[in-house]
Amino acid sequence: MKLLTPEQSMYTCVRCGACRGVCPTLNITGREADGPRGRVLMARALLEGTISVNQEIKDQLDRCLLCSACVDACPMDVQVPDIVMVAKEQIAAAVEMDSFHERSVKLDTSQVDIKKQAKPVRNVKDFLFDKVLADQKNLNKVGNLLWMYQKSGLQKVTRAIGIMKFFPEQMQQMERIMPEILPPSKRKHHPEFTPRANDKRDSRGRVAFFQGCLMDMMFRETNDNSIKLLSKTGFDVVTPKAQVCCGALHHHSGKTEKSIELAKANIIAFEEAKVDYIITNAGGCGAALVEYEEFFRDDPVWLERAKGFSSKIRDISEIVHEKGEMPATVGRGERVTYQPSCHLQYVMKVKDAPAKLVKTVPNVEYVELPDKKYCCGSAGIYNMLQPELANEILDKKMEKVKETDSAVLITANPGCYLQMKLGVHKEGMEKVIETKHVVDYLVESIDRAESKSLS
Amino acid sequence: MTETMARPPLDKKVITRLTEIFGEERVLTNNTDMITYSYDASFETQLNPRKPEVAVIALSTEEVSECVKLANEYKIPIYPRGAATGQTGGAVSTKGGIMIDLSKMNRILDIDHRNMQVMIEPGVVQNDLNEALKPYGLRFPPDPGSANMCTVGGMVSNNSSGLRAVKYGVTRHYVLGMEVVLPTGDVIVTGGAHSKALKSVSGYDLAHLMIGSEGTLGIVTRLRLKLLPLPVTRGIVLCSFKELEDAGAAVNAVFSSGLQPSAIEIMDFNCTKAVNMMKPELNLPIDNEAILVFEVDGAKEEVSSQVTRLKKVVEKYASYIKFSDEPEECEKLWQARKLVGAAVGLLKPGGFRVYGGEDICVPISRLPETLREIHNIADRYGIVCGIYGHVGDGNLHTGPVVNSNNEVEMENVQKMIDDIHDLAIKMEGTTTAEHGVGIVRAKYMDVEHGPAMEIMRAIKKTLDPNNILNPGKMALPN
Repeated sequence: MKLLTPEQSMYTCVRCGACRGVCPTLNITGREADGPRGRVLMARALLEGTISVNQEIKDQLDRCLLCSACVDACPMDVQVPDIVMVAKEQIAAAVEMDSFHERSVKLDTSQVDIKKQAKPVRNVKDFLFDKVLADQKNLNKVGNLLWMYQKSGLQKVTRAIGIMKFFPEQMQQMERIMPEILPPSKRKHHPEFTPRANDKRDSRGRVAFFQGCLMDMMFRETNDNSIKLLSKTGFDVVTPKAQVCCGALHHHSGKTEKSIELAKANIIAFEEAKVDYIITNAGGCGAALVEYEEFFRDDPVWLERAKGFSSKIRDISEIVHEKGEMPATVGRGERVTYQPSCHLQYVMKVKDAPAKLVKTVPNVEYVELPDKKYCCGSAGIYNMLQPELANEILDKKMEKVKETDSAVLITANPGCYLQMKLGVHKEGMEKVIETKHVVDYLVESIDRAESKSLS
Repeated sequence: MTETMARPPLDKKVITRLTEIFGEERVLTNNTDMITYSYDASFETQLNPRKPEVAVIALSTEEVSECVKLANEYKIPIYPRGAATGQTGGAVSTKGGIMIDLSKMNRILDIDHRNMQVMIEPGVVQNDLNEALKPYGLRFPPDPGSANMCTVGGMVSNNSSGLRAVKYGVTRHYVLGMEVVLPTGDVIVTGGAHSKALKSVSGYDLAHLMIGSEGTLGIVTRLRLKLLPLPVTRGIVLCSFKELEDAGAAVNAVFSSGLQPSAIEIMDFNCTKAVNMMKPELNLPIDNEAILVFEVDGAKEEVSSQVTRLKKVVEKYASYIKFSDEPEECEKLWQARKLVGAAVGLLKPGGFRVYGGEDICVPISRLPETLREIHNIADRYGIVCGIYGHVGDGNLHTGPVVNSNNEVEMENVQKMIDDIHDLAIKMEGTTTAEHGVGIVRAKYMDVEHGPAMEIMRAIKKTLDPNNILNPGKMALPN
């Protein structure tokens, strides 16, 4: 667990500037307010009441990607994203309530009416987070709708009549790179138990697979492949039916109660699975799961259970690299590069396990992506909320990807995957660079080696 | 916020003109932006942040020059800023005005490896420069603790250095020439307008007037820097001493034995304690007054023999010795020194480390008595502190730790800082060896320099008749 609360952590910042070199937004604009140090100072001014809540401070704080690169770089472990979140929660609360006098933050509506802007966004978020993501049945329905949209020809129709042009540019492009949703028949529940592929060898461990909410709907094949990869590398895999969404998006939007409810449901579901490790294939989810204990600082019973849960969380690349036994693999002589997931490298502290695994595949040339430390700009729904800045971040990222002259761009998180696919699409390079989740890439390499040995 | 507006507020026309120079996106006037530009890493700005009225982000020499000319026209102060990692308030406003952020002027223009030099813009970060030089087997040696984040422009303006100054010297020794925007807005190149020479005695050495002038005499926009080859390998000898005097004697013995360590670092008993708290597995010996960490570098064979000789020399004085010339083991031994700056904060639960009186430098022969005297001062004010530093050149970093909500402590620590600076001068030393003067040490300047201070003021007046460039720093007029 983190030693300090966000507020305490805020006061340990000595403004040394160690965070400056890793911040993706500061890298674009060079403006102090777009860097971690500036954000801590602004949050502090807001929380101490030196400045009042207005559109200006809200806009400034919304520009943070919450990627956590600064926390990793900080010698004092100042929890910048948490501090920004606390400030954002205060802004939301000040907008919501009218009795500002009791709070330390003051509301200033002289510029733009901050209240007007907040409402429609909040309604959409409420619906999406409470009714869709947190409810497996509803999520499945949305999946079916999306699948129908893609299969019924409706997608072709909307593209043909150009209805998407009425949506923001970012949405239009997102619509084009959406992965193909598998039909409902192929999105049944994963088998509750998948034994290791080779039962003549000792088990590498009994693990539980965390499927995620969106991940399981939109990236079903990657999830299927994850279970397959774990089984092929010697693990016995449990996939608990009772598991739910990790709650990361709820937490990032300040919906703490819902996050706690989801956390408790997951803790119970995975305690029953009786496993050594709990495996995620999405850095974003993994980062939320390892921080469950933060919810229960004041609840000793649940704190213990949450600690037990969080201590078992491992990323799939990490566990396969450390404890698994890779079967034979082979590549196609291609050059491969890797864009890390921020939550994976900075929160889960898994720095290069995906790259290490890719490097073990024969007949593949691995090249380092320059400036891979910078977030790709996906950051949840950041690219929808901050289209301009997100675009600039993405353009810079794609410049670096091009420098590597790679045929495959590996990612380790669905958000990064979509963002990189969007970047490749924008550059018109779909025929040159293939974007892949590391799990899919490894399973394909295993399949290729198997079919070669058969023929 | 400190009220810094001793002048009439900015004319609206100035913003319009700035927008013409920099474009709308790089002229910032939001209150939130001004808050973020009102600090550097100093304790002083934590207590008294100082807002500018407008901040601009510069991308070229022309922009900087135009901006300075405009500032002269309207007599507005202008404050250059790199990464603002300084400890002195050097990169903040003293009376409103224009903050000019140079951190985006960060291109490496020409790595001229055959001529052992590089041309860069001032916003390049020290470590980024060295990463870019690595493939050529070269480096820019000055190594402040903030090398990961400080800009080279800032290093030049403050003439900074680090723990390897004992062998490799300070930033000053590596500046061959520079392009500078003068306080009038005119642009000059020092060290020969087109020269690529590695040595020159042609004319007054204007670059060296600019180096360490903390942005009061000009804004550096280009730098031509001398490079050295990367050392192949290094070795470490870590030893501990029952008494401070033994440590002092050991340093003398090493120098007179003909050895040239690349670093000699000292940590007092409190620092040792703090590092053990942060990393118990290091298990440093604690019943001693001080630890010294020697580093030697060079070719592999050379390093091994240096380590052996060094060990032999210090054996007579030390009560505990660990050494290595293996990279991994060296890294482990070096950890003790690397962690100390952050670890000092642990000396007092809930406390934070104050950067004040943090950079004095005394003759090596007077180090033991200075260390003892600093602890006496700290005891007198009831403040806990750790002292570490670069013994090889007598530079001591004192880290007092206080609780920010304890008013008595906050007041006492300021008195302690004053006493440490007075002590430095009494010991035939200086108040600052590598961090600079800025706002925080301006009050000691007259005592330290006597009549020489008047010459500095005269130079300032000659180059900056309107007193618009970084006024109110280094005991120069505000």
